[in-house]
Amino acid sequence: MGTAAVRNQIRRLRFESGEMTQQALAEQVGVTRQTIVAIEGAKYAPSLELAFRIAAAFRKPLEEVFQFHQQEEK
Amino acid sequence: MNASFEEKSVWIQLISMVGVLGSYFVVAAHMLSRGVMVVAAFVPLFFVAVVLLVVVLVAGHTVVAIASKPEGRDERDRLIGWRAERNSSWILSVGVLTAITGMVLAIPNVWIAHLLMLSMLLSEVARYVFQLVYYRRGM
Repeated sequence: MGTAAVRNQIRRLRFESGEMTQQALAEQVGVTRQTIVAIEGAKYAPSLELAFRIAAAFRKPLEEVFQFHQQEEK
Repeated sequence: MNASFEEKSVWIQLISMVGVLGSYFVVAAHMLSRGVMVVAAFVPLFFVAVVLLVVVLVAGHTVVAIASKPEGRDERDRLIGWRAERNSSWILSVGVLTAITGMVLAIPNVWIAHLLMLSMLLSEVARYVFQLVYYRRGM
């Protein structure tokens, strides 16, 4: 099994949601701003519950916000 | 510093613990090297260190809370805490097992007590370092 990474479109979706700030999104989904920063920077993969809450904040389906990429080991 | 209240709290705990309890161990090592082998002789020093540690922790957290609004722990903070504890708890286990071995070998109690305290300190310091690494580098 290779390495896996969860990528996301949060930065773009924030921009499309009227320049929503990281703080505003954090307050809406109930985490700290630093956690949103870490998720955007792919330094933290959120729990399924938090991923659903973020998707709901943008009124988008989960797979439009988060994408799972699996890389095969060489 | 672009850090959450939890991360700042970890920094405060790390610096306080290394500074205060580190100083305790420096003085205690000096006393042990001079042949002080009675546990009671270390109690006042330890008491002062604990009181000082509490004062520094309260002062540090108060300053940070005034400078930035305290936030509750979220799922990332909890996960980082659990992972850091999982990676550092073995240090305390090794210290306890070594202390038990020392008791079987009839090593003086003063050494056993300090071995246990040192392993507790090192375990906590390792936990804080792991937490800070996870906060900075991600998981």
